[in-house]
Amino acid sequence: MDKPHFIRPCTYIWLALMLLTVTTYSIGEAGLGGLTVMLIVIGTAAIKVQLMANYFMGLRRTRWLWRGIVLGWLLLVTGLITIAYLSTIK
Amino acid sequence: MQFKSQAVAKPYFIAAIGLFVGQILFGLIMGYQYVVGDFLFPYIPFNVARMVHTNLLIVWILFGFMGAAYYLIPEEAETELYSPKLAMIMFWIFLVAGVLTIVGYLAVPYATLAHMTGNDILATMGREFLEQPLPTKVGIVIVALAFLFNISMTVLKGRKTSISLVLLMGLWGLAIFFLFSFYNPSNLVLDKYFWWWTVHLWVEGVWELILGAMLAFVLIKITGVDREVIEKWLYIIIAMTLITGIIGTGHHYFWIGTPEYWQWFGSVFSALEPIPFFMMTVFAFNMVNRRRREHPNKAATLWALGTGVMSFLGAGVWGFMHTLAPVNFYTHGTQITAAHGHMAFYGAYVMVNLTMISYAMPLLRGRSANSGPSQVMEMWAFWLMTVSIVFITLFLTAAGILQIWLQRMGSNPMSFMEAQDQVMLFYWLREITGFVFLIGLVLYIWSFFYKNSEAQAAA
Amino acid sequence: MAIWFFIFAELLAFGIFFVAYAFARAHNVVLFNESQQHLNITSGAINTLVLITSSYFMVRAVAAIKQNLSRECARWIAAAIGFGGIFLVIKLFEFHAKFADGITLSTNTFYMFYLSLTIFHFMHVILGMVILMAVMLKARSGGYSAENHTGVETGASYWHMVDLLWIILFPLVYVIH
Repeated sequence: MDKPHFIRPCTYIWLALMLLTVTTYSIGEAGLGGLTVMLIVIGTAAIKVQLMANYFMGLRRTRWLWRGIVLGWLLLVTGLITIAYLSTIK
Repeated sequence: MQFKSQAVAKPYFIAAIGLFVGQILFGLIMGYQYVVGDFLFPYIPFNVARMVHTNLLIVWILFGFMGAAYYLIPEEAETELYSPKLAMIMFWIFLVAGVLTIVGYLAVPYATLAHMTGNDILATMGREFLEQPLPTKVGIVIVALAFLFNISMTVLKGRKTSISLVLLMGLWGLAIFFLFSFYNPSNLVLDKYFWWWTVHLWVEGVWELILGAMLAFVLIKITGVDREVIEKWLYIIIAMTLITGIIGTGHHYFWIGTPEYWQWFGSVFSALEPIPFFMMTVFAFNMVNRRRREHPNKAATLWALGTGVMSFLGAGVWGFMHTLAPVNFYTHGTQITAAHGHMAFYGAYVMVNLTMISYAMPLLRGRSANSGPSQVMEMWAFWLMTVSIVFITLFLTAAGILQIWLQRMGSNPMSFMEAQDQVMLFYWLREITGFVFLIGLVLYIWSFFYKNSEAQAAA
Repeated sequence: MAIWFFIFAELLAFGIFFVAYAFARAHNVVLFNESQQHLNITSGAINTLVLITSSYFMVRAVAAIKQNLSRECARWIAAAIGFGGIFLVIKLFEFHAKFADGITLSTNTFYMFYLSLTIFHFMHVILGMVILMAVMLKARSGGYSAENHTGVETGASYWHMVDLLWIILFPLVYVIH
């Protein structure tokens, strides 16, 4: 039997997730802060969650409703975190 | 009724309903004392009436749970009860102990009762819901252990289903959490902390398991939906209940001297507590819509659906209303709590017992369901009681909001008694609605005796 | 299927906690920024890599069972569990360092959140490992096949969720300031 077609994309996704994590880590180690950095970091996290949910969890191949719930959750949580962050910048 | 030993459930159900009537009567006495303060003074002071009202509630619900277990477990395990005799002995011990306790409350001053019953040896009395004298508490433990032994042995020798396992888990939890009533540290904060573990970990933890199991059992019987489907729902509901309920109980620790993080834990987890109740509602309606048979007992179906809806409203919505710490800062210990308490207890634990009794009692009396006219009467009882509780809750909520506004907000807040005078109108309305509830309850009881002779002949 | 209700409920619980953290921080920026500097970003980042890799192993486990390779599936799951174990060990070192400094839930609001979020997540990792262990044992004894492998997918979904939560938790608590 052939190997399922989703292994190769998932391997790339795994590599991408590792790289994105290293990026976030470098930003953290460098002690960078501020609005732009915050948006980049939270944006990276959001992208990682989407990659994880759509490829690893296989939501790409299931009902759009469940994909929508995860996406909606992600937007709501990261959105509110961003609003809270913005409220501290006067 | 498939097994002879299920018949032991009958006296338990009858006792439960009898004590329920007592609870309502004392509720009415208390409700009247809210508006006419010296009613029945000095014979039944307010604190005694309140104690009797709440203790009867808990005891009759326990009778209902035990009866339900004795009815349900043999049928699920497909075997006779381990010892029907033990079940009957325990019934009489529990009933006599319960009645003596209530007589004790009414006959002698509470301090004298405490002195008479050995509270000096091990002080456990004087705390809300746990007012029972030491011998009663010990009696409850003995009855609970014998009961658990009896039904656990029945399950062990018979078929093991998810429903009976969940029920057993709930009942064992109930007994274990009761043991905290014997622990009464002199540090007030510690005392409160553990005190919440008895009744409140019951209602938002282990009792929900009992509720889920009882509801699932009745739904299997009246809808004929596959056991597998119902069990899957049951598992998720139980998991959600335990995740949210156990830490969610932290919403009781807010202003009693516990660490501040409880405000976060309690708020977040208890905010999720409506979810299992909501799922219970969806579950009940879903199963009834997918029913594969038309069970003749329509009244029991109505009660089962009602349990789903009312437990969600009472425990879920009315609980959520004041569970977040910043809101609770203003609402704790006001009539909002009383409103939530009434609807949650009725919607969840009273109704599930009435569902079970409505389903099982006709079977115990040798017919598949009560006659048509009698079911119509029972449905009237359902609507009268349920609508009354909704209104009692709404009046108390209104009283609570006004009370908070007058007594806890603004620059010049009123004293407690001044604020009470201002909400008197709502207390009157609540009392009147209470009488409607009593009418509903009388109809419920009457429906079991009304025009049932021909149904009996047919069966 | 049923696991998804559970996953959504978990997402909701953590979601509320994340947002609560963000708003609590907004009221106390100085304290949060100061306390955050004492966290060990390196161990947090390594743990992210560990979990992501572990998740990838579960993807391979699902792929293996779809080809009817029970033993290979069980081996991938074992690898995933092993990496879960590495996560726990690193986390324990981190907790040990914090407790040695006398930090508790009551130290301040930041540490309250840091400890409760990470401990709460820690317990989910343990639960996930228990689930995977059960799935692995069943896979090893040939309990799954290409046609019937819902159990493997259910375990994998739960494990990915645990990973997904950490992917937000790490930048939120360790990095953003």
